[in-house]
Amino acid sequence: MSEPQAAAATPERILLPKRLRAPEVVALLDDIRRRADAGPLTLDFHEVEEFDSSTLALLNYVRGRLANVATVNIGGALARAEESFVMRPPTEEPEGPPSGGLPGRALTTIADRFIFQVKSLGRFLAMLGDEVYHVGVYLKEHKGVYPGETWNQMFFMGYRSFPIVCLLIFLVGVTISITSAEQLRLFGADIYLADLVGIAMLRELVPLMTGVILAGKVGAAITAELASMTVLEEVDALRTMGVVPEKFLMVPRLLAMTLIVPLLVAMADVVGIFGGIVVARVTFGTLPSAFIREMVTSVDWTDFGWGLVKTVVFGWAVVVGSGFKGLTVGRSAEEVGRATTESVVLSITLIILIDCIFAFILY
Amino acid sequence: MDIIRARDLTVGYGRTEVLRDLAFTVPEGRITVVLGISGSGKSTLLKTLAGLLPPLGGEFDFAGSRVDYRSEASLRSLYGKIGVLYQGGALLNGLSLFENVALPIRMQHPKMPEDMVRDMVYASLAQVELAGSAEKYPAELSGGMTKRGGLARALVLDPDVVFCDEPSSGLDPITSALLDDLLLRLKETFKMTLVVVTHELRSIERVADSVLVVNDGGLRFSGDYADLAVADDAFIRTFFLRKDSHDDA
Repeated sequence: MSEPQAAAATPERILLPKRLRAPEVVALLDDIRRRADAGPLTLDFHEVEEFDSSTLALLNYVRGRLANVATVNIGGALARAEESFVMRPPTEEPEGPPSGGLPGRALTTIADRFIFQVKSLGRFLAMLGDEVYHVGVYLKEHKGVYPGETWNQMFFMGYRSFPIVCLLIFLVGVTISITSAEQLRLFGADIYLADLVGIAMLRELVPLMTGVILAGKVGAAITAELASMTVLEEVDALRTMGVVPEKFLMVPRLLAMTLIVPLLVAMADVVGIFGGIVVARVTFGTLPSAFIREMVTSVDWTDFGWGLVKTVVFGWAVVVGSGFKGLTVGRSAEEVGRATTESVVLSITLIILIDCIFAFILY
Repeated sequence: MDIIRARDLTVGYGRTEVLRDLAFTVPEGRITVVLGISGSGKSTLLKTLAGLLPPLGGEFDFAGSRVDYRSEASLRSLYGKIGVLYQGGALLNGLSLFENVALPIRMQHPKMPEDMVRDMVYASLAQVELAGSAEKYPAELSGGMTKRGGLARALVLDPDVVFCDEPSSGLDPITSALLDDLLLRLKETFKMTLVVVTHELRSIERVADSVLVVNDGGLRFSGDYADLAVADDAFIRTFFLRKDSHDDA
């Protein structure tokens, strides 16, 4: 350093007050920022007696970030506090090989996620197979499930789901009828509204909508319940009692779903078609008897039967998907919420995928 | 005789090893306390011994037979010989206390007459002084009652070994002392083997016959509680707040 520069760099000394806690530290930092262009500074801690962690953070900050600010006269309690407090998080070793730069890391992340998803799919399919096995064994041996639990689940899935399923299916029936009526009127084909509503409801909309409602109402509840049980170690407790949780918790739900869905679908079919009858009566003045007479010319029991089969399969997808998410949850309460959301997404995805497969088979 | 015998046992989650190369025994008919600071791996070790978490390495025998995590029969045999008291009690919320305690009986012996089930459940509840609360649901029980209910459930099928995960955590000193008395009574009356995970000094002093001390990824001490008092280990001295801890640590 040259002589003239050294002369110009004579630091200005700031004698810090007796009390130097967070408010004083913030004010001091403002002061230092204002003097940024005025040359080097020296902070004199000689009189500082009252301090807190922000004072220690200030010392670190000044030394690490402010090259033109020096600190002097740090002694007594402040010096001891500085020695005993670690103000920096420990430096951690990088977990993986850092090589490859951004594209390498991105590829590694994508590969890791892909492997995770493939493993999850494998576990899901294994669980599906296990559940079919457990239901079969239970029907043969009647062991491993809490007595009366299937009835409880039927009450929850059926009785409590009837009102919402009926309301939404009725509204869907009304909506599809109003939308179609306008087009049919253009061609003078009013009476064919009955055929359209009958086919759409029995084959497609009732199974699909019932499945989606079950995913939102029943599936989410199953995941939340099983995930909470997992977090609270109740599932572990069952296991160490010699109970197979995948059987004890899932079989009653699967049986309840299988038994309750036919009733739910039958009710939903009636209500959905009733929505169409109401619209036909209001829009075209079609009598309900004429509507039904026309409808039965285009739909028969096989349409009802396939709708039923589809909904039972959707119901199983909902129970297995939501049970899978509930039983594979992590150990924190936060993950219960995440698993519940994921279970609804998984259930609806499965329903649409299965519906697509049915479409290929049936049409 | 030793009821549990571990050799080179490594426990952990996924690829993370929490405790490595453990070699220890659990003597029959005594209370073995697993102690260590929070996060040292006590509960992880207990989960492995209770058949819930496959070991990452090594093996252990239970009552003379090697526990094979890949064999469903081996695990079923293990579950039939143990009872577990979980940290939060882990009672099923949808069932009354009576039904919670009856659950292991109903699942293991579905054909047992209901009168016998009732007698067994009430006998177990009486041991933990909860016979008067049998019809209550877990949500209606206090923390201490929930733990005692969990213990009643763990005891109802007279297991060879009862694992207790931090039985006194979160309890007041009086309830905690009652639980300790109960564990001692179970040992003395039924010659039961208990493995108790805890870091409560008072509990350790009252109930421990033998001790496993885990810390820093390994086993620091394994042996009688009396020997622990003279163990020449800085961590153990600090743990038991001995006067010379700061000087020697």
